[in-house]
Amino acid sequence: MEETNETLCIGIDLGTSRSSISASDGERHVVDSYVGWPLDDMVARKLMKKAVFVGREALDNRSMLDLRRPLERGVIKEGSAKDEEAVQELLRHLISLIGIKQKSKNRGKVRAVVGVPAEAFRVSRQRLRSAMDGIADSVMLVSEPFAVAYGVEALLHAMIIDIGAGTADFCVMQGRYPTDADQRTLPNAGDSIDERLLKLMQEHHPEAQVSIYMIRDWKEKWSFVGEPKSRVTVTVPAKGKATEFDITNQMSAACESILPPISETMIDLLCRVEPEYQEQVRQNIILAGGSSLISGLPEALEKACSELGGGRVTVVKDPIFAGSDGGLAIACDATNADWQRLSL
Amino acid sequence: MENVEQTKLRILREAIESNIGVARSSRVKPQVLPKHTPPLWLWGFLLIAIGAAAGFVARHQEREDVKKMVGAQLDTLRGIQAQKSIAYRAVPSLVVSREKDPSSHPASADTTKTLSPVGGQLLKAAVPFAAAYRINRAALPLTVRRIVIDPGHGGKQHGAISESGVSEKDVTLDIALRLRRLMENAPFEVLMTRQTDETLPLEKRVAFANTSNADLFVSIHVNWMEPREIRPLETYYVGATNDPAVIKLAGIENRDSGYSLADYRRLLEKIYLDTRRDESYMLAKTINAELYQSLSQINPELENRGVKMAPFAVLVGTQMPAVLAEVSCLSNEDDVKLLTNADYREAIAQALLRGILSYAKNLNGSEKSIADLWKKQTKLSASE
Ligand SMILES: Nc1ncnc2c1ncn2[C@@H]1O[C@H](COP(=O)(O)OP(=O)(O)OP(=O)(O)O)[C@@H](O)[C@H]1O
Ligand SMILES: [Mg+2]
Ligand SMILES: [Zn+2]
Repeated sequence: MEETNETLCIGIDLGTSRSSISASDGERHVVDSYVGWPLDDMVARKLMKKAVFVGREALDNRSMLDLRRPLERGVIKEGSAKDEEAVQELLRHLISLIGIKQKSKNRGKVRAVVGVPAEAFRVSRQRLRSAMDGIADSVMLVSEPFAVAYGVEALLHAMIIDIGAGTADFCVMQGRYPTDADQRTLPNAGDSIDERLLKLMQEHHPEAQVSIYMIRDWKEKWSFVGEPKSRVTVTVPAKGKATEFDITNQMSAACESILPPISETMIDLLCRVEPEYQEQVRQNIILAGGSSLISGLPEALEKACSELGGGRVTVVKDPIFAGSDGGLAIACDATNADWQRLSL
Repeated sequence: MENVEQTKLRILREAIESNIGVARSSRVKPQVLPKHTPPLWLWGFLLIAIGAAAGFVARHQEREDVKKMVGAQLDTLRGIQAQKSIAYRAVPSLVVSREKDPSSHPASADTTKTLSPVGGQLLKAAVPFAAAYRINRAALPLTVRRIVIDPGHGGKQHGAISESGVSEKDVTLDIALRLRRLMENAPFEVLMTRQTDETLPLEKRVAFANTSNADLFVSIHVNWMEPREIRPLETYYVGATNDPAVIKLAGIENRDSGYSLADYRRLLEKIYLDTRRDESYMLAKTINAELYQSLSQINPELENRGVKMAPFAVLVGTQMPAVLAEVSCLSNEDDVKLLTNADYREAIAQALLRGILSYAKNLNGSEKSIADLWKKQTKLSASE
């Protein structure tokens, strides 16, 4: 479409754990999907000078904040005004990162495509639309895996598996806008690995003092499925003293815990594809989302495909921005007339 | 052939049109979740809420009259049993033919207490699967207000078929209709998942039981097992199993469930925490005992295999205590002969009734129904 100076197209990936934004002027940013308000407490209010904190900053100051992860488990929590507000703060923050001020008369038009977890797309579409009010001029919502598919042009005979924090979203692309039947959502993703790993740590190394945030950092550094390439050791306080623990087995067990449900769902969806295209889809399985970075994951899923005659599983080039870049591509391809109809 | 650009354009159009629909609808429509995606936000319901719920419920007074009614029903029943005179009404006798016209199997004339799920609104409001919750049996006075009877299979799904052509779906419907008639005077409401010869996916049966807030779910089936000489009686409640025979049976009973493999695994992960199982076990035990006691008199070769665990879809997905009874065995032609006799089917229905009644009697009855408790917990956790 023709782009004027005043018009900015953006793609936003609103995730459970991270949200990213890509803009038509080339700006790209990612933030942790946390929003916090200073606790109603003298000390907290004195120390926390801002009214609201977003992202890393919110996470780092969590002890003094009412900290929200508004899209936990993939949907805006039902009936929680605070969480709706948090979604709005998060969106506002993302927009501010690319240098756009709040909606004002002399600001250019902002056209946003927001990719949301498939589950939120189904249940919170209206609420998400209204959350964008005052932030963008026109809005289009798409499910996250669809945004990824559009961005990498995997629109025909392909399967996208977006393994994020809260959910793993599956989407089979068959040359049409995906319907519910083409999509699946599982709760087995990054967060469930973290929880499992924490539990295993508490079982096997009860003396180690760990938090879910430490666990997540370790996972992001050393996660793997299949054979370990090297031992995984961490140093944490135990009874106050820095102690080294070998967590290779626990890491392996935690990461592998998402394999069975993911491969079963993948196979189940593959079997539902029309027989003449199954082979093509199998050869075109694309992983996205932060948890697709788990070492050995594509190979493990390929192995699962072998019972159907083999398949090829690849990871998108830029898992962090694949969703927002896809959204941006959609935003740029839509016409002025389309955007007019989508105005808020 | 369309090229990539054309495909892109067309899909983009579809995406935009679907968004314009949303933009136009001014108010939030109640969302219906598709069957394969139980809402994630409902899964976290855990123990926190339970303490509060337990405290709330425990304050309720016992309701002696319910107990008395149940007792009276049991006594009447024993009387009927003693006389052995069984009256049948409105229940068609079983037709021993594979090519039976479905329309020749009408529902019972009496529909006052029933609710067919088919086409009803109830089914559309998809219901979350049961979250794990813990009931301390001693602390909670519970009562049974509503029972869902589920005649196994139906319509295109025949279930097991005997060599002589008797279909499981016909036997189960017949027994269920008898059971409903026997329950007319029971102090609780009786609903049926189906009352005609219709195809009904397991998932819909589960949704029906869950939306109608039933306190108990009783699924009626007839077994099929090799070797053909055996005549087993089994009653199941939810659980994992390593028994290959049971795994095979679960595979047969779960066919066409409408659940994906992954949904299923996820459901299964929940059941270990679920104390609904304790209640299901109690119910299975009483039903199995009653079945064996009365049927073994008519059928001395009946082999009581007792109460077992199995991951049948209807047991996994339901939110209330639930059992699945395999009341006879269609692979055994002597059992089949008995099953084609209305007296035997009536005896099965009566035994089921006695099992349910004595389970209900053993609950320390109060005005708090099992379903209420569940609802209460859901509310509490949702406001967490
Ligand atoms: N290198 C890595 N190895 C393993 N996991 C990782 C890695 N980097 C990030 N993750 C995990 O990926 C998840 C975040 O991925 P992503 O940003 O795609 O999620 P999201 O979009 O916020 O979540 P969702 O799509 O469920 O809403 C987190 O669980 C994070 O711990
Ligand atoms: Mg995501
Ligand atoms: Zn059956």
